[in-house]
Amino acid sequence: MKEAPMHNRVFSVLGLFDSAQHLMDAVPFVKSKASGRLEAYTPYPVHGIEKVIQQRKSPLAGMVFIMGAIGAISGLALELWTSGIDYPLTTAAKPFLSWEAFVPIMFEVTVLFACFTAGLGMLLLLNRLPFFRHPMLRTRSMPLITKNKFALAIEADGQLLDVDATVKVLLEAGAESTEVVAEPEVPGLLSPKFFFRAFLSIAIVCITAGYITYWGIKLFPVSVPMRHMLNQPRLGPQQQSSFFKDGFGMRMPVAGTVARGHLPYAIEDQNDAGVLANPLPRTEEVLKKGRQNFSIFCSVCHGILGDGKTSLTAAYGAKPANLDSQTFRDYEDGKIYHVIVAGKNSMPSYAAELTEDERWSVIHYVRALQRAYDAKDEDIPKENPR
Amino acid sequence: MSSLRTARILASGAALGLAGIAVFGAHAGWKPFWANWILWLLFMLTTGLGCLFIVGLEHVIGAKWSVPVRRVPERLSSLIILMTPVLLIALLSLRHLYPWAHSEMTDRILAGKAAWLNVPFFAIRVLVCLALWLLAYRIFVNGSLQQDQQKNFLFSIRARRLAPLFMAVVGITITVVAFDWISSLDPAWYSDIFGVYLFAGAFLAGLSATTLLLMYMMAKQRLPGVGPDHVFNLGGFMFAFTIFWGYIGFAQFLLMWYANLPEEVLWYKERLQGAWLFIILVTALLHFFVPFLILIPRDAKSNPRRLICVALCILLAHWLDLYWMIMPVWGGNPRCGFLELSFAIFFICLALLWIRRALSRGADMPVGDPFLNEGLEFRL
Repeated sequence: MKEAPMHNRVFSVLGLFDSAQHLMDAVPFVKSKASGRLEAYTPYPVHGIEKVIQQRKSPLAGMVFIMGAIGAISGLALELWTSGIDYPLTTAAKPFLSWEAFVPIMFEVTVLFACFTAGLGMLLLLNRLPFFRHPMLRTRSMPLITKNKFALAIEADGQLLDVDATVKVLLEAGAESTEVVAEPEVPGLLSPKFFFRAFLSIAIVCITAGYITYWGIKLFPVSVPMRHMLNQPRLGPQQQSSFFKDGFGMRMPVAGTVARGHLPYAIEDQNDAGVLANPLPRTEEVLKKGRQNFSIFCSVCHGILGDGKTSLTAAYGAKPANLDSQTFRDYEDGKIYHVIVAGKNSMPSYAAELTEDERWSVIHYVRALQRAYDAKDEDIPKENPR
Repeated sequence: MSSLRTARILASGAALGLAGIAVFGAHAGWKPFWANWILWLLFMLTTGLGCLFIVGLEHVIGAKWSVPVRRVPERLSSLIILMTPVLLIALLSLRHLYPWAHSEMTDRILAGKAAWLNVPFFAIRVLVCLALWLLAYRIFVNGSLQQDQQKNFLFSIRARRLAPLFMAVVGITITVVAFDWISSLDPAWYSDIFGVYLFAGAFLAGLSATTLLLMYMMAKQRLPGVGPDHVFNLGGFMFAFTIFWGYIGFAQFLLMWYANLPEEVLWYKERLQGAWLFIILVTALLHFFVPFLILIPRDAKSNPRRLICVALCILLAHWLDLYWMIMPVWGGNPRCGFLELSFAIFFICLALLWIRRALSRGADMPVGDPFLNEGLEFRL
């Protein structure tokens, strides 16, 4: 059918009947003769009328079912992806992909999708709301319909309606009187333009609100972001505690105990430390660890090659030991260890920075540096010449 | 003539079943015998209670649509009376089936529960529950029959006043039944929601039995004026409560699965392996998924053929559900031998005979109920 020109468009043609039974009896005849969407207006709900005037089954049930199914699948997919694949997180020692835990989410999402489809689908799609200024409200028949008349309407539904023929059909079907209802001058709200404007406004409001909130919190930190995870009953370092008699939150180790990995160091004189042997094997792993710790803690003063030449030497006038010199080549491992633990001259103790294993690994690395400092030909690996 | 023949067939079926029970029961021993006994007792009893609950529910909410069909659940709830001797005989099973009744309280868990789980108190609870049910039956069903003659409001007022109390009685007694007869088969296990779970099954079974009998009565033209609109409401009830059953059953399982406490999960562990897993999956299918999907379309809720399918599905599933809860206690795989068959024939024939008898009692509709006409005029 052709689109009707705007000015003479007809919204619907009404036929008034004097009883519900007459109206229902007229429907089959009207259905067979006239084209257009049927609608009935009655003073009170009439049982069974929806079955008579219904031209096709409401698609709402199918829509809800399909959206519910999509909801179930989405819920499952969301759970599978987030807690099984993208960020597998052990919860209560369950397998990552435990369907049991996913069922509640699937249920919720199914209900959510189905409810939204039912509510919005019915209101917006099928009942075409919002529809302000409905043309029916301004008809001459409306006061009668709210009293004692039953109206059968044939709606144009966006098509061209043959008014004269429709009026004739209604009168033949037994209508007492008819009325032609004109299309409202203001277009319905559900035009694409309206939707575009609505979505644009919502988007602008959302983005503006987001920016205002972000900068508001940033510039005027009235409310602190939630930090509940930080508020824990445990004590932080250096905090007081009334639980202990001395008021200190931090405790000394219990007398006679040794913490794991922290054997007490009892040697006082460096010369006595020569008896200590390096417990670590000279493996690549140990040497790498040694290199890392040497470059972090030692190289600042002793130089990256261990030769005691760094920029700090000039700046502070200190003279760090040249670890590559003959003196230190002759040092036993234990004596170097002692210096790391106890310090020497202006070098402070590094006991707090380096664990026992790290100290010994640094010593292995120092030995490697010494050997590399004046390397001989046989030190170059044969199989792997540069 | 043909009705008499049906009665004769049913009676001979019951006799055959009884003989089968005697023969195969003697062969199988006490434990299987009592397990089957309790299974069928609970199946019939919960169905009857579900029907009585439907009757009570109508009085509580003042529903008028259900007045014309009320005689159907009223008659079905007489299953409680049929089950009274069966229930009293079942008290003999305690020693054979229930660990707390025969072990010498060496088990610490059993010793801790001894205050509740002991034979005298158990028997008292059974008798009190039974007395309450029979009292409720007398008030609601017999009162309704008397109203047929009296034709006044007195019964309706009385029923509406007492029905809320009856709701509480059903809630408490069915929880007691669930804890006492099913849960205490495995006394270490416990679940707070178990009573609700059994109630969901009982209400659904009652609805299914009501629907089946209603379909039969309507096919026999014995309920003039009852139409698709009334049937639709029953279908809607079934639809809603299949979801309720699934929700409760899964909620019970999910919490125990999450918490993973040894005393809770063992019950599930032995019921979720091998053939038992298959049984509960079939139960879930017949109790929830199939009825749910069949009843989704609007027309299905008043379509007699679909409703009969769904009702049979649910009744079978309710039986399977009880089977799955009760039978694992005597160990091993699920059994379906001649003993089980005999029990099924006996109890089904007996129940059908009983319902046949109940169908001849009083009018088919509560003709004295002042709301009958309003109920007949009910349209969706």
